[in-house]
Amino acid sequence: MSELKINAVNSTITSQNLHSADFAKSHSQDGFEVVLKEAMAKLVEIQSDTNNAIQELANGGDITQAVIALQKAEMAFQFMIEVRNRLISAYEEIQRMQV
Amino acid sequence: MKLFGVLQVVGSSLQAQRQRMNIIVSNMANVHTTRAEDGEPYRRKDLIFEVEEINPGDESLQGVRVAEVVKDNSPFKVIYDPSHPDADQNGYVKLPNVEVLEEMVNMLMTFRAYEASITSFNTTKNMFMKLLELGRS
Repeated sequence: MSELKINAVNSTITSQNLHSADFAKSHSQDGFEVVLKEAMAKLVEIQSDTNNAIQELANGGDITQAVIALQKAEMAFQFMIEVRNRLISAYEEIQRMQV
Repeated sequence: MKLFGVLQVVGSSLQAQRQRMNIIVSNMANVHTTRAEDGEPYRRKDLIFEVEEINPGDESLQGVRVAEVVKDNSPFKVIYDPSHPDADQNGYVKLPNVEVLEEMVNMLMTFRAYEASITSFNTTKNMFMKLLELGRS
């Protein structure tokens, strides 16, 4: 029963967004999902760069590049964690909503 | 991501300073070398740095790289030592034009530059971490 109501609320929100927001024209309904996926793909790319740098280091590569790649991966990971935390807290906020 | 351009700048700086350090160490190691290429004593070497474009066209973000290794053409030191195998007919030996004191000062400068790069990286990273805290309750 309550699920149905949430769905109804969701659909009104999305339809409002579709009508009012400009970005809805350029982005499809799953715009946020696409952005998230792109960000994740970027993160995976950065982490594989780090892997490559460490492999190169093992084969006599440059240590500076490896350390920089590590830091880059760490920062990207922190950023991802932060986005995840914000998402979870937004979700919890919605969960606590009175229906 | 644009944010990581800073990391490339810091990386290029660290690498350049490390290469400079290699040159300085070579100079100091060869302070008494009388036999280098073409039969002359070792010549002091130095590095020339040049700007490295990180994002082409972006002048606010520029790294550094080593353009070339140059030889110092100042005259060799000459000492009188007839017993030395590399002495000329008059008993004079040509020694490399390396001044250990000068190299020490260059080494300290290189170390400080390296340190400064690392500090600027840490500050950048702290700024990034602070940004993530924005709006956190």
